[in-house]
Amino acid sequence: MIALSEHRCEQATIAAELERVGGRLMLLFVTETPSGRELCAIMRTGDSTLLLRAPVTGRGYPAVTPRVPAAHWFEREIHDLWDIVPEGHPRLEPLVRHGPEQAEIALPANGEIGAGHRGAERLSGPGVFVFPYGPVRSGVFEAAQFLVQTGGEDVAYCAQRLFFKRRGAERRICEVPLELAVLVAERVSGTSSLAHALAFSHAVEALSATEVPPRAQAIRRMLAELERMYNHVEVAVRECEDASLSVAQAQFAALKERLHRLAGEIIGHRFLRGAVVPGGVRLDVPRDVANRSRETLGEWERDYRHVVAMLLQTDSFLDRLVSAGPLAEQDAREFACVGPVARASGVDLDTRRDVPYDGYGEFLVSRHTDGDAMARIEVRFQEIDVSLELIREALGSLVDGPIRNELGAFVTDEALGAAESARGETLYWLEAGGAASLRFCKVRAASFVNYGIFNRLFDSQVLTDFSFIEHSLGLSPAGCDA
Amino acid sequence: MIRWFLSGVSHRRLTTRFPRSPEPAPARFRARAVLDPDAANADPGRCVEVCLPGALSLDGRGRLRLDASRCIGCGLCVEECGEESLTIDPGYELAATSRSRLVVGDDVRETEVFPSGLGRAFRRSLHIRHVDTGSDGAIEQEIAALLSPYYDMQRLGLFFTASPRHADVLLVTGPVTVPMEQPLRRTFDAMPEPRVVIAAGTDACSGGIWTEPEVRGGVDRVLPVDVYIPGDPPSPIALLHGLLLAAGRVSEVSPPRRHDGDGPLRPVPSEA
Repeated sequence: MIALSEHRCEQATIAAELERVGGRLMLLFVTETPSGRELCAIMRTGDSTLLLRAPVTGRGYPAVTPRVPAAHWFEREIHDLWDIVPEGHPRLEPLVRHGPEQAEIALPANGEIGAGHRGAERLSGPGVFVFPYGPVRSGVFEAAQFLVQTGGEDVAYCAQRLFFKRRGAERRICEVPLELAVLVAERVSGTSSLAHALAFSHAVEALSATEVPPRAQAIRRMLAELERMYNHVEVAVRECEDASLSVAQAQFAALKERLHRLAGEIIGHRFLRGAVVPGGVRLDVPRDVANRSRETLGEWERDYRHVVAMLLQTDSFLDRLVSAGPLAEQDAREFACVGPVARASGVDLDTRRDVPYDGYGEFLVSRHTDGDAMARIEVRFQEIDVSLELIREALGSLVDGPIRNELGAFVTDEALGAAESARGETLYWLEAGGAASLRFCKVRAASFVNYGIFNRLFDSQVLTDFSFIEHSLGLSPAGCDA
Repeated sequence: MIRWFLSGVSHRRLTTRFPRSPEPAPARFRARAVLDPDAANADPGRCVEVCLPGALSLDGRGRLRLDASRCIGCGLCVEECGEESLTIDPGYELAATSRSRLVVGDDVRETEVFPSGLGRAFRRSLHIRHVDTGSDGAIEQEIAALLSPYYDMQRLGLFFTASPRHADVLLVTGPVTVPMEQPLRRTFDAMPEPRVVIAAGTDACSGGIWTEPEVRGGVDRVLPVDVYIPGDPPSPIALLHGLLLAAGRVSEVSPPRRHDGDGPLRPVPSEA
């Protein structure tokens, strides 16, 4: 549970206030309260989490983005959904709302966010063209579009367009009975089902002051780490595919499949759905299943180490990843990146350690300073090692006892739930609408913030680096779009 | 590179023998709910209440009706009010060539085997174009897993193709969000005939848990669908079964039959 220190201010001063406090902007959204609309910002500053509220009067307010660049997508979203204008936003184009016709192929207008970034000047001249890639892309990919400006080889500019997959998850979570809402959260980002279920459950548990029994906490940790592992291995599969290393690709794909089969054995679902509910877990892990999992993971680890060791000695792989898609630490901080993407650029953050939940103890938070695709995959490989340890620890702490506590009636009006998915910090902001119903929900997947810096990774990159850079981020359009 | 070659050839065979022989499913695996409409159920109303996507409903006489094209396999109905009438099933012969054949209820009881009328034009080889219209992202990974050594769909003559111009099959995932409707139609229009449209995943079959106005509520609201593969997401084997059904190489079992016990699943009628 995240303790929030709440402050009020005026809409005219919220930008200055956020800049003064400093830190990492986690959320910025508008909510409807009985006394009118409010702009809410949640900022992580040092070891505390600050909630800043300002009533919104009129149709506009001075934009936060010029002072806090991390607000750029949040404010475009607010503009789209509430028709409130963040005045002075450098690039206030539609973000989450798509017109009925997607044919227009235009780069965003000039105007860059943050200091010292290229892209403020668009290239022009003979031979320069814009290549729209997506939303239907070659291969099996989720729907997203990338507008790549190029003269043939160098990428001059790349603009990402997401939100083709917006399904209205926030609305559905409030609409359905509370006992079923976790099923919606599990399907926001299907490959991070468990982390989304956890973040949502943490928020509901905070609303109703419900404790989670120790056995349920151990099961949650074990499943969360299993999910992290198959997502990280998926990144390795994709990167090997891009590097045309078919044997390595096949071996990582086989390793990934084994993890999904293990998930199916433990909980009955290859993507770990139906396991976590507010108050605990729905399904127990019997002793024989726990023992078999330990054995399976032991064998898995041996094969995994062998393939990783070979991969890290394969020059043709290293050549493609080293220096591809560099993300400077300053950018990662300025744009509040999360997860392995931020950690590979030297930012020290991990929800599991910073706002501990479900009994996570001490563990090593992997970091790297290079900030390129190679650093990102190395951080992921290190995290798999840590996850294996955490799973063994969790299997060892499966104490006897209940796995689920009944939810009480809601005792507070609002709560923030967080969990660290394989992609980074996942947030659910919930507002109670009664003793057991929700009035408002704001989902912020890790991919929402990490997609925001996509266009900044193409400095001196060429077209053939594109897929390496994209896959090194390991993002989920479904989670971003919600 | 020689090291990778040696490492590659030193592995034992991992690939499933499906569809020639059955593929075992883990004992606790949950693919979807199965309804026996004749078995007793004291509180069918509660079942309907806990069914998020509305797969369960009551017929005119107050008895349960199950639409498998909406089921997400969460198992809450079985837990809350299943009694003898509802069970959870690990099966994979889920695909059907019409949505009505996925409904179990008052007037549909007998499991029938329908030979597939599809696919005479491309029995041996099938080129697949995938389009995502708003899935949760897991099904794309299950589809990609078909290329992994465990499933190796190319051994069955199934291939992904980048261009819709080469495609025989349009494999659609997701409930069709509003911004994806046009791209989906344009991809379909670009395909040569004969062509087959597969709705893969519960959300593509029926919209699943998603509702208007953000989504259209299933591929068949936009395009004529030839094969439905329910599942949330369908496992790679269920996807293979659906693809082979589209190629006319396996039969359809409708409504999907109940699988007995925890043992290996029975074989799908093999290649003709």
